Amino acid sequence: MNIGVFVCHCGSNIAGTVDTEAVAKAALEYREVVFATDAMYACSEPGQAGIVEAIGTYALDGVVVASCTPRMHEATFRRTLERAGLNRYMFEMANIREHVSWVGKDKAANTRKAAELVHMAVEKLRRNERLQAGEFDIAKRVMVIGGGVAGIQAALDCADGGLEVVLVEREPSIGGKMSKLDKTFPTVDCSSCILGPKMVDVAQHPNITLYALSEVDSVDGFVGNFNVTVRRKAAYVDWDACTGCGECAAKCPSKKTPDRFNEFIGLTTAINIPFPQAIPKKASINANACIKLTKGKCGACAKVCPTGAIRFDQKDELVTEKVGAIIAATGYDLFDFTKYGEYGGGRYPDVITAMQYERLLSASGPTEGHIRRPSDGAEPRDIVFIQCVGSRDKSIGRPYCTGFCCMYTAKQTILTKDHMPDSQSYVFYMDIRSPGKNYDEFTRRAMEEYGAKYIRGRVSAIQPKNGRYLVKGADTLLGRQVEIEADLVVLAVGAEAARGAGELAEKLRISYDPYGFFLEGHPKLKPVETNTAGVYLAGSCQGPKDIPSSVAQGGAAAAKALSLLSKDKLASDPQVSGVKLARCIGCGKCESVCPFGAIEMIEFRGMPKASIIETVCQGCGVCTAACPQGAAQLRHFTDNQILAEVNALCL
Amino acid sequence: MSVTEGKELRIIGFLCNWCSYAGADTAGVGRFAQPTDLRIVRLPCTGRINPLFIVRAFMNGADGVLVSGCHPRDCHYSEGNFYARRRLETLKALLPVIGVDPGRFEYTWVSASEGQRWRSVVASFTEQVHALGSMPRFMSGTSLDLCLRPAVQPRVF
Amino acid sequence: MASSLDELKTAIRKALPGLDVVIAWTAGPDALSHAPLFITEEADVARIEWDPRCSQNLAGYLPGLRGKKAGIVAKGCDVRSIVELLQEKLIDREDVVIFGLDCQGAVDARSARAALGSSRGVRDVAIDGASVCFSVNGEPRFFSPGEVLQSKCFGCAGADAGLCDHFAGERGLPPQFGNPPESTLERLEAMDMEERLRFWETQMSRCIRCYACRSACPLCVCQDHCAAQSREPHWVDQTDHPREKLMFQAIHALHTAGRCTECGECERACPMGLPVMTLKRALNRRIKDVFDYQAGIDPNQTPPLFEFREVETNIKEREW
Repeated sequence: MNIGVFVCHCGSNIAGTVDTEAVAKAALEYREVVFATDAMYACSEPGQAGIVEAIGTYALDGVVVASCTPRMHEATFRRTLERAGLNRYMFEMANIREHVSWVGKDKAANTRKAAELVHMAVEKLRRNERLQAGEFDIAKRVMVIGGGVAGIQAALDCADGGLEVVLVEREPSIGGKMSKLDKTFPTVDCSSCILGPKMVDVAQHPNITLYALSEVDSVDGFVGNFNVTVRRKAAYVDWDACTGCGECAAKCPSKKTPDRFNEFIGLTTAINIPFPQAIPKKASINANACIKLTKGKCGACAKVCPTGAIRFDQKDELVTEKVGAIIAATGYDLFDFTKYGEYGGGRYPDVITAMQYERLLSASGPTEGHIRRPSDGAEPRDIVFIQCVGSRDKSIGRPYCTGFCCMYTAKQTILTKDHMPDSQSYVFYMDIRSPGKNYDEFTRRAMEEYGAKYIRGRVSAIQPKNGRYLVKGADTLLGRQVEIEADLVVLAVGAEAARGAGELAEKLRISYDPYGFFLEGHPKLKPVETNTAGVYLAGSCQGPKDIPSSVAQGGAAAAKALSLLSKDKLASDPQVSGVKLARCIGCGKCESVCPFGAIEMIEFRGMPKASIIETVCQGCGVCTAACPQGAAQLRHFTDNQILAEVNALCL
Repeated sequence: MSVTEGKELRIIGFLCNWCSYAGADTAGVGRFAQPTDLRIVRLPCTGRINPLFIVRAFMNGADGVLVSGCHPRDCHYSEGNFYARRRLETLKALLPVIGVDPGRFEYTWVSASEGQRWRSVVASFTEQVHALGSMPRFMSGTSLDLCLRPAVQPRVF
Repeated sequence: MASSLDELKTAIRKALPGLDVVIAWTAGPDALSHAPLFITEEADVARIEWDPRCSQNLAGYLPGLRGKKAGIVAKGCDVRSIVELLQEKLIDREDVVIFGLDCQGAVDARSARAALGSSRGVRDVAIDGASVCFSVNGEPRFFSPGEVLQSKCFGCAGADAGLCDHFAGERGLPPQFGNPPESTLERLEAMDMEERLRFWETQMSRCIRCYACRSACPLCVCQDHCAAQSREPHWVDQTDHPREKLMFQAIHALHTAGRCTECGECERACPMGLPVMTLKRALNRRIKDVFDYQAGIDPNQTPPLFEFREVETNIKEREW
């Protein structure tokens, strides 16, 4: 084999702490290396052209590039090899940036380490095989998990692009957090007026199947061929029969049911349609509150339902959908502000969350858009807004900035002034973060036109005082303590990962960060992809996002799914397991450990043998490690390739 | 020149591509400085690791071996790290019997986002191996072996 | 044991017409260990021997007889190997007829020869309570069990009569011999790490790479496909170096981890008398501690390295 080695400077990223020229010189000593050089940027156009040229000049049949992580540019260089007529798998990368130059300070040690990583790569490459990708059929369907604005956008774009879409929503209606908002920043346009039509489009789109009140139970399969089992939770109402007339809710005697949609500041009935614009507009019964389901008596709703849709004996139902791609758009949850004792920790009725305030502002909310204190229904005059409740606070494990609270608070001060011209808003903030189109102008308007008083500092305590609240804090700009008497305190609660995000990530086999937000494939270059092929992210499940960003990512995820499924067949990864029949004794150990059921026992000339179903094999190599004879070998990661790397390092 | 001539020891890491290799990348992107002893072998999954790779490494004179994969239940292939955990726990019984100090081998779980954790794993494992010093090498050999040895030894400049 | 032997012969005579072969023991060239006997005709039954010299575990022959109806005579410890083969579906239960025996202990030919000075003239061996009696040219010579029996006899769990299709002799508790002689594992544990390496270096430099340990192992079903003599994959090179020989022992131990029943065939077969079961014993001890598992007990179990629990209660993972 003629091997060429290219050692990348990556500008000064590598060359700053690794003597790349010395690494290239060392590489010339390794077995079968006929050419070695250093290059400024191996991944750049001239860099790649250099590789192509060297392949021709030196008749190379294998290439090692020592540069950044293979997770970054392995695919890039494989394409380079293909352009030069080589098989894309006759390539190895030595990661001398992320694993060497960026983490080690000693240039001599780094150089030695880089040279040894190149040696490992060369020894592995010497045992590489020319692998050819196969093809497999795919399901041209997409599942979108989560029907907030990001999921809605993703579903609509996929459906418009001609894909069949299954949209799964945990709540009885799609709409997500946005459907609870009264107005949106920075335009102060009505949230339901812009979201509502999109929700209706979902309901009416011929390509979209909507499963509301449903959750993903399990996920099998792989890109192009996922089998997702969805648990359709019992609504106790036959939704095919329900017309959404609302007669049932009007007659339901259980009228003191906590209202989830209204963030628990209002009450609703045990059977209800969560809000007027709900999609699907179907009634469902809260089993914990329903008198019939808890005590066995009542059934008022069943008596009045004009279509006889009530089903007290309804059970959860499992349906399995075959899809080619999955878009996770599960959004976020709000931080539990009771963790902050100094803000009353949920003990004071008039210390509420911004989302609760949003419901008070909304014309479809429990107060029909009149701002009323939850405690006594009085109209407040002085309102204190406290920023960063559950954001940028290491002490409660939320060091990150939610990013949109500054903006919604500015919006809420503007709306407050609109609703009640005599009111006065005060905002305690840490920093104002408004880096978006027209965002900073918007916060300035809140202060300058709407007279919101912004106080830079933290609140140290809130104490009840004569039916009002004494808010004590610091003004760090003026360097003095401030005390404000408020009628209502609104906490800008931050975003945290949605309930159950970790479990869903495990089902989807994607990663999540320490806070539970799903991990993108690359923080810059693959913000929508995950490390699992065919699974994409949209919206706040990947990290807190405002509406425009969520919509943009929903569209981006749809574009990824559309481009993936635009082909009729997908190329299978040839880095899968293979069984050498001559070595296999048919003991079946590989079959017993395969996580994918990708191994079947066959008979070959009267002898039992293992056989890999290549389209099912995902290339984990569990079988290879289980095979005592070494008959099952994971291609591109064979025993001999790994042993070669080990032997290159020490012998 | 032997690598141990400097202050470095020979430490091999077997990392899964999806979590720990990416976590080591994250540590790199974050410029989290680490000792330079470790050399990483990239594998698709810790389930690919035959414990014999680790035995081979020690037989060849490695001073330490570190395995790292996805946290339990986060395996990209669902189950690979569960098998790995059992295999590696079993391996732990073999190593001390053949004279490999138990402190020379560890396995752990580091996710793609845990760059800081990766740094501290590398730092403390490297420190632990340094406390044990270099692994005693096999001394004896046949004449045939002594003839062959220079030919198979990699040239380290 | 005469009555057990008669019972056994009767049972085999009765079963033989339905079987292709029955494996038992007979007197061989070595007076201290009986050799295997493959019975296909009734006339052979008379040649069967049964006494403490029936040390060899015959279970290893079963996978090679797959597809044939085979009977096998088995001591309690041998039955564990059969269980393991059944568990791994390497033999078919309906094709195997097990003739169990009430074993009182089996001779370790190597140490017995050392104790006696020679194996010549040994006519009979009997175990009576706390002593082993060799009748040498008509003279009885007595030894303690620790001097002449296999070390596995000290931890004997008895015969699993439940799995046997026929059982000759008294079912009951196995013989109790008190403390076993010091094992290599115990000796190693008293050494520091470098001494352990040097120990193996010395031991393995005596290894002649005959692979008798592997050929004798009832669970080494790969045999001709053994990874030790392959270049694809190339785990061990053929250099005559203790490192490579120890590597093979590590391969054998890890390939049988959670499967090895410590039948001792590897050590019994080793012409150099190397303590090659030590590694397997160390693995088994850990597997017992961590996975609460012993090989060869229940044919319906799965060996611990071929399954997992999401939460492993006995594994303490390190915090970093």
